[in-house]
Amino acid sequence: MIFSAFFCLLIIDQAKAQERTISGTVTSKGANSTPLPGVNVIVQGTTKGVLTDFDGKYTIEASLGQILEFSYLGLKTTFRTIDNANEIDVAMEEDLEQLEDVVVTALGIQKSRKSLTYAAQDINAEELSKVKQTNPVNSLSGKISGVVVNRSSSGAGGSVKVTLRGNSSLGNNQPLYVVDGVPLSNPTGGQPNDTFGDINGGNKDGGDVLSLVNPDDIESLTVLKGASASALYGSAGLNGVILITTKKGRSGSFKVDFSSNLSVDSAAYFVELNDEAENNIDDFFNSGVTSITSLSASGGSENAQTYFSYSNTFASGILPTNDLKQHTINVRETAKFFDGVVTANASVLATTQTITNRPVSGLYFNPLVGAYNFDAAGERLIDYENFETFDPNRNIQSQRWFRATSDIEQNPYWILNRNASEDRNRKLLASMSLKFKIKDWISLQTRGTYDQTLLDYDKQVFATTDATLAPANGRYIFNEQDIRQLYGDVIATINKQFGEFTISANVGGSTTRTTIEILNADSGTNGGLQFANVFSIQNFNANPQVSIFQTSLDKKVNSVFASTTFGFNEKVFVDLTARNDWSSSLPSGSNSYFYPSVGVTGVLSEIFEMGDKISFAKIRGSYAEVGNDVPANTVFPERQILFGGGISPLDPVRPLGEVRPEQQKSYEIGTEWKFFDNRLGFDLGYYHTSTVDQYFQVPVSTGTGSVTVGVNSGDIINEGFEGAIYIVPLQTENFKWVSNINFATNRNEVKEISNPSDDVQIDNQVISAPGVNTFASYLVEGGSYGDIYAQVVKRDANGRPVVDSGAIVLNDENPDNTIAGLEKVGNANPDFTLGWNNSITYKKVSLDFLIDGKFGGETISMTEAIIEGLSNNSQRETTNETIEVVNLAGDPSTLTAQEYYGLAGGRNGFTGEYVYSATNIRLAELAIGYNFKLSESSFFRNIKASLIGNNLFFFYKDAPHDPNVSLSTGNALQGVDVLGLPSTRSWGLNMNLMF
Amino acid sequence: MKNRNNIFLSSLVAFSLVFWACSDNLEEIDGNPRNITQEQLEVDFQNVGSLYKPMFENIYQYTPVWSYQLQQNLNADIFSGYMTNPRPFVAGANNSTYNLVSGWNNFIWSVPYSNVMNNARTIENETKEEFPELFAVSQLLKVSAMHRVSDVFGPIVYTKFGASATTSEYDSQEEAYNAFFIDLEQAIMILSENIDSPRFTAFDLAYGGNYESWIKYANSLRLRLAIRISKINPAKAKAEGEKSLNHPIGVIEANSESFFINGTLDHPIKTINNSWGDIRMNASIESILVGYEDPRINSYFITSEVNEGEFKGIRNGLPLLPGYADELAQKADYVTFSLLSETVLSPRVQLMTAAEVFFLKAEAALRGWSGAGDVQANYEQGIVTSFDQYSISGAASYIGNNILTPKDYVDPVTTSNSTNALSTITIAWDNSASNEEKLERIITQKWIAMFPEGQEAWSEYRRTGYPKLFPVVSNQSGGVVDTDLQIRRIPFVDSELQTNPDGVSNAISKLGGADNAGTRLWWDVQGGNF
Repeated sequence: MIFSAFFCLLIIDQAKAQERTISGTVTSKGANSTPLPGVNVIVQGTTKGVLTDFDGKYTIEASLGQILEFSYLGLKTTFRTIDNANEIDVAMEEDLEQLEDVVVTALGIQKSRKSLTYAAQDINAEELSKVKQTNPVNSLSGKISGVVVNRSSSGAGGSVKVTLRGNSSLGNNQPLYVVDGVPLSNPTGGQPNDTFGDINGGNKDGGDVLSLVNPDDIESLTVLKGASASALYGSAGLNGVILITTKKGRSGSFKVDFSSNLSVDSAAYFVELNDEAENNIDDFFNSGVTSITSLSASGGSENAQTYFSYSNTFASGILPTNDLKQHTINVRETAKFFDGVVTANASVLATTQTITNRPVSGLYFNPLVGAYNFDAAGERLIDYENFETFDPNRNIQSQRWFRATSDIEQNPYWILNRNASEDRNRKLLASMSLKFKIKDWISLQTRGTYDQTLLDYDKQVFATTDATLAPANGRYIFNEQDIRQLYGDVIATINKQFGEFTISANVGGSTTRTTIEILNADSGTNGGLQFANVFSIQNFNANPQVSIFQTSLDKKVNSVFASTTFGFNEKVFVDLTARNDWSSSLPSGSNSYFYPSVGVTGVLSEIFEMGDKISFAKIRGSYAEVGNDVPANTVFPERQILFGGGISPLDPVRPLGEVRPEQQKSYEIGTEWKFFDNRLGFDLGYYHTSTVDQYFQVPVSTGTGSVTVGVNSGDIINEGFEGAIYIVPLQTENFKWVSNINFATNRNEVKEISNPSDDVQIDNQVISAPGVNTFASYLVEGGSYGDIYAQVVKRDANGRPVVDSGAIVLNDENPDNTIAGLEKVGNANPDFTLGWNNSITYKKVSLDFLIDGKFGGETISMTEAIIEGLSNNSQRETTNETIEVVNLAGDPSTLTAQEYYGLAGGRNGFTGEYVYSATNIRLAELAIGYNFKLSESSFFRNIKASLIGNNLFFFYKDAPHDPNVSLSTGNALQGVDVLGLPSTRSWGLNMNLMF
Repeated sequence: MKNRNNIFLSSLVAFSLVFWACSDNLEEIDGNPRNITQEQLEVDFQNVGSLYKPMFENIYQYTPVWSYQLQQNLNADIFSGYMTNPRPFVAGANNSTYNLVSGWNNFIWSVPYSNVMNNARTIENETKEEFPELFAVSQLLKVSAMHRVSDVFGPIVYTKFGASATTSEYDSQEEAYNAFFIDLEQAIMILSENIDSPRFTAFDLAYGGNYESWIKYANSLRLRLAIRISKINPAKAKAEGEKSLNHPIGVIEANSESFFINGTLDHPIKTINNSWGDIRMNASIESILVGYEDPRINSYFITSEVNEGEFKGIRNGLPLLPGYADELAQKADYVTFSLLSETVLSPRVQLMTAAEVFFLKAEAALRGWSGAGDVQANYEQGIVTSFDQYSISGAASYIGNNILTPKDYVDPVTTSNSTNALSTITIAWDNSASNEEKLERIITQKWIAMFPEGQEAWSEYRRTGYPKLFPVVSNQSGGVVDTDLQIRRIPFVDSELQTNPDGVSNAISKLGGADNAGTRLWWDVQGGNF
């Protein structure tokens, strides 16, 4: 349907008139005027287009009255109407503001950058595609100040944790993703939260929505960091917003882009092992190969444009048997009717993704346990690649391993082949908008989006898997999630000028309905299957120890909002927004919450005469309040039916008193300057946010009759500076070096965890529960979000560890910072982030590199602890290093490293011995490219080839693992590596063909 | 043109209004329709009926198995001398070596509170006035579960359960026991008045709705608790015990009347024993059963792999022994010792047997309580009843044996663990023996008969000191627990320390000693039994 519409529209406007040949030269405007090669010249409303040659010359057929459009990246698009002249020379103006001047803001409203009263930073398609990432959000690290990106350790298709201006909530801390003005549902399909691992399939990453988007479809990413910017999105935008603008069809010639990216990944950053273990690991890990291919076509007339793209990603991971297959189709149609009075826009995005053996972290079902700790004398791990052996008693292939398997240790090849999992994810995003221009100064727009994500997980655990994980006949786990979001809005937009005053206002309402349906079936660790190795739900044993359940979550938020920007003479702008939400997840008495924001900006360079050197200067300040509701089904919990087991005995949470919406109050100030014809510029800002009245679920004495009560409490502060510097240190005719430096600090403080007036006083809130392990994260008054607690060794005055009666003694000298035997040893979040992004071009050659640094913060290598507890495979345990220790009486003695770390290590050992600084500086991206600009007669318009490198090396790193990788993209398990898949280094080739 | 614009404008507005018009009422949206509402629960009176099953199945928790493992198996079941863990968890620093793992012990507390106390309260609210007999059964289940919790910790939250939404106040163990007696008395009275009511039949996992059986159980439970406090408060003990012994319906006297939970799930130890290989025979029970040539051993255990054809137990409290690289290597050797037999691991979980009641009566008679009958007759009937329970013959010759005694223990893997038998007590009744020796005989036989229910066995071991159990090989309590006196209790759990610090500090003052595993409970009086 859409396709036929597309072709029809292409044909309609082919009005033929008397054509003649027009030619001319395109040059750059200004003192150093030079001819411009490669300028796109098209006849508006036709598919006709040419490129200027090396001398800036062009020739094109056009007829009287038609418009020629000259476009070139970095220059202002210029239009010329064909009159009687046959020669049209054009001098194109440089346009530094082209990419920067107009910023897409909340609800898709475009604003000029100078009128913004808050910080917003964006990156464009070119930057995103230089070193392509399977998850485009990974490209933000180091390129936008204050964006902290943590990749999950689950390889291709994995989710990403983005933190803007620090963590504040026990709930979601991730920004809202908005595609073309419409909020996207971002179900992070389950995240690991247990150090030990999930016995129901291992600690698995469920992926996120951005891993389902084709990076080549993105025109630009804009990051709105604070609540002032995102106040119009309401509570969903509490943690900032990442706006994704996708490519649209352009009027003019029909264009085809083809790009292909092939990269090879190798396991790069993990614990130093002894030679034998290292050889075993080298045998075990593969070279991963990632190929991303995409094809897009666009074109159209003045009244109708089409964009179509298809891309596929094939990746095989460094973990054997792990692979990903993904196909994405995107169609977008824009049309104007009735002389531009009505603009209609429709798009459909569809993705399918299949991931086999998505890597897990933790101890259960993790092949890395057996791979790192293999130490059978005289044998190699590869000897066990043949992972099964025939058992004549059962007439079955059974697991083969050099010793008895245990809950955490099995043959790694068995896990990969006989405990295999498959994730099947599908996404459909269909949207439509209609815009009606009532008068020149007022328009009305309505949009609707249907967003569906289907996440299937299938794990088949064969018979003879360790008995803790599966009964004798094996185990089958099947999980299906259907997540739907319906969004609709109506917005009236007014832009009017009264003398020196301008007013632009938006008034509207929106409704968002999110429903989640989950089906989970698991034959369990005791329930079992009737017939061995048949994986279907009907093969479950009919007993109550199998688990089958359905869950539904349903939530609706209705909103009305208004925003106005008053401008005075393009010098001063005042921004006011207001929004009210009604959420179904709050009790009906208090389900309405209102929040305002106010901002002011003054363009100093317009107000005062500042001379030539200062091209632009402004100051800004804003204040916002944002309310937040609670997840569905939190306030009115009901009793669950347990499969075959009656009903759950207890209310999970009992709210204490009336539940109120959470509140975040924030303000920010900033200034932006540009000098020397925009060759130097900076933007500096300060922000402060305070998140109060969070809905904490507080454990209470079971003697009360419930396990947890819900209270609104707490005050968490985040504050910091953000800055960006833009410099063009060198620029000549053939050479240009552009450098961007981004930096940010964040200080987080838990100012209050319990309001003194509350009925229940809380000492702490658990972020990562210690469980049966010796790592945890708590929110404690006076502490910070992300504080890491570990089991710390007692030391004498000389720093020697205290070891008594063959056991390490627990430190007891820091009781104020100790919770349940675990002591605060650091914080998972960086204090300071720095990115330095460079782009150097010399004629047709380009060099791009990004140096990304994170300073401060700590991380624990549980991987190293586990290796040293379970085996003696770490490098330092094998060397002859000794450690001087003392006993409780103070008598010194010497232990070998193997003895000492044998005592300290293990999954529940002295984790304080495994704390490292998370500070790291890396060469994050490198691209060396060559641009073949071809002549008009060539079949290709342009060919660009580049050699790319990703995560190439660390200038500095303390931890054995890559601290930028996180086990979970939720809140738990930050700052700890528990057998996560090692981070990789990639080299690749990128080829871009434009027809 | 203008007209056309208006048409578009109105259709646009109409289109947008659809979003609002189709909207469901916000109040109707939240909630999970897969859950069950109060209204739905009330059909078939499930709002009350469905609450009993979790109570039955969590006195001794059936599922999840690992939770039972922590609630009782790696606690009372090993402290009782019945079983041992072949794997030295946490490199030997675990409950069995008195290096208590607080994360494990939380489950002793949380399981009954979450599943029994809470449901009992709901049942009380919904039935006390209208269907008092349903309330009475719930009270019996509540006392069944909570005396065990008190026997582990001492002070517990009982009479003031649910009184506050945020904190809870403990009763001293004496207050708790007094409350148990009141609750039992009340339940027996209510059931006696409604003895023919059929209302409970559909929900009864023990007696098929027969209230006469329930009254016998209630009387037996009261006798158990009375015997428990016989040292600390002999007068109260005698008064409560005699109420049961002289009650017209009486106590459990037949195996068919024993208190078993006919659960719908496998016995939790089955998985721990068979699939996980995490529990094996204890050296103490090997010493006694093998020494006595007790035929019940074939119903309780199977012969070992390590000494083929022989029963072989493991000493309590094995550290990570020298020569083993890790826990798993050590487990690989000890997992070959005797497994528990399928016979005792049926889905019927045993909580109180007729045999136990005869031994309780024997002790009551020894203490001179009226209605208890003859000491020796009760003792011997206890043995006969226990043999009958497993359809084993030869009780008569067993009862008459005055030669066999517990035998020395030999560890075939680590010979340093071998140790001599601790007692020379024989089986046959000796009327001329001292009261202390008579009690050792009674308790030793009661201990054998109660297998595999370690909680009651451990409680009675602490009260009486019988049977004599091998001490732990490695005592890592840092001097808190005396190796020979063995572990006396479990400290208050972390979750309580964290959420209810004031309540716990008050409980510690009621405990009358330090909050550690060496402090004796209220009924655990030091010194002789008479």
